[in-house]
Amino acid sequence: MIEIIHPGWLSCIVDRGRYGYAAVGIPPSSALDLYAYKALNLLTGHEEDAPVLEVMGAPFSLKFHEEILCAITGAKVQATLNEQLIKPWTSFRATAGSLLQIKEVMEGFRFYVGFSGIMTLEKIIGSFTTNIECQFGGYQGRTLACGDLLHFSEWKETDRHSLPEREIPVMHSPHRLRVVEGPEIHYFADESVKRFVDRESRIIYDVSSKTNRTGIRLEGPPLSFREEVEKSIISEGILPGTVQIPGDGLPIIMLYERTIGGYARIAMVVKADHDRLAHLKPGDYVLFEMVSLEEAEKLWEGKQKSITSLNKTVRRLS
Amino acid sequence: MNFSRYGEDGIRILFGDVIDLDVHERVRHFFFFIKSLQREEVIDIIPSFRSCLIYFDLQQTTFERLSSLIMEKMQTSSSLPVPPDPFIHEIPVRYGGECGPDLAFVSSHTGLSENEIIDIHTGITYTVFAIGFIPGFPYLGILDPRIQVPRLETPRVRVPEGSVGIAQRQTGIYPFQSPAGWRIIGLTEVSLFNDRKEPYSLMKIGDRVKFVKV
Repeated sequence: MIEIIHPGWLSCIVDRGRYGYAAVGIPPSSALDLYAYKALNLLTGHEEDAPVLEVMGAPFSLKFHEEILCAITGAKVQATLNEQLIKPWTSFRATAGSLLQIKEVMEGFRFYVGFSGIMTLEKIIGSFTTNIECQFGGYQGRTLACGDLLHFSEWKETDRHSLPEREIPVMHSPHRLRVVEGPEIHYFADESVKRFVDRESRIIYDVSSKTNRTGIRLEGPPLSFREEVEKSIISEGILPGTVQIPGDGLPIIMLYERTIGGYARIAMVVKADHDRLAHLKPGDYVLFEMVSLEEAEKLWEGKQKSITSLNKTVRRLS
Repeated sequence: MNFSRYGEDGIRILFGDVIDLDVHERVRHFFFFIKSLQREEVIDIIPSFRSCLIYFDLQQTTFERLSSLIMEKMQTSSSLPVPPDPFIHEIPVRYGGECGPDLAFVSSHTGLSENEIIDIHTGITYTVFAIGFIPGFPYLGILDPRIQVPRLETPRVRVPEGSVGIAQRQTGIYPFQSPAGWRIIGLTEVSLFNDRKEPYSLMKIGDRVKFVKV
């Protein structure tokens, strides 16, 4: 059993996500950084997708009430176990009574904490992940709070593992996001599209403080719609990473909480950059760069390789 | 029917340009057809007013392969599966006041009295064109053009569960307390979503909805 002492700004249970029911509006609500999620599972001995904690911001702390193997991935953090510095992306054994503290997030935004046990939680609609907005899944359908107790079953007896430093992705601002054309890109004047993605003259956006797990709102000079188009579209299906432009002209990058959108879809962030979206924090800089679908596919192939090879790059410690 | 790409792992199949019952019927038939194929590489399919968006598994297929497979299946099936029968839902609504904070705006925008707007809104049996953006939210149409209003330019951060909204030629019901970009004209106590019981959503695409003033 572990006990949440301080939940950070926001923490919740996540996994790979909830799929198969998008036709009735049920979104994935998955972990936002799936590379960090996969690595965490491997570091804690899980072949399958186990539920983990996704935490935004420090300070965060939890107390172990039994001995268990634990690891932290995602954002670069300063973490201690009983005041002793511990290495992120490396599993460690925590004894009963010990205290894990994340005192500072140095780079990136969200970090993940996983354990060699499987948390005793009920799967809702096929997943452990939390739909915070609709209050189902995860831990009682809500974000974690001080004093929450998480129990384990099905321990995986495993050795300690580590991921080499060079396999840890960069997560700092400015975030250069590659995008492909969206269905409504022609809703915007050429001049606006140019300002959105042109290497020489593009807008450098600020991540707004209104950002949440549903979408990342950006601030900067607004894009202008062509005069002849309506500012909203007939609502249609969207996928994670879709960049919508509402009437105010300021982009919103949709994450894993929506299945349908009603605003013009100027672009989609390439799949290879989706994990990076987990680490856009208020005040960070964001720049867009247009690539072709062929390039996007190549980028994803590369990323996919690094994800599948995690099985090999995660090393057992003697 | 027009197949186009949506990012690396999406197929957008477009059936028309407008909110229209014929287009909807084609979307609905296509949706239940894809479901009947039970293809593993199709992770999700999102039907809406004028399109279906297929989200597929890039590890199992490609845009080209899945698109041609679908076309081929459509041409070779002697008859497409018959979609399930629509269910008719009656939804009691309290209009205006605190329950419908935007009814006054709709009135000033359209020049109609609040009672006229309510009569128009309850006077049509709507069709469920899509379900999303949050679980169980029915996109209903087709709204009478006399009470057509634009969405809010900046969505409200929160509206209560059961809020009934209108925007353009659509009306809908918010199953959860959630952000909302539509104009809220009323409130219902009917529960639209149950995470414990399949099929989870009270409504499915193609169902009919009649609002009743209480």
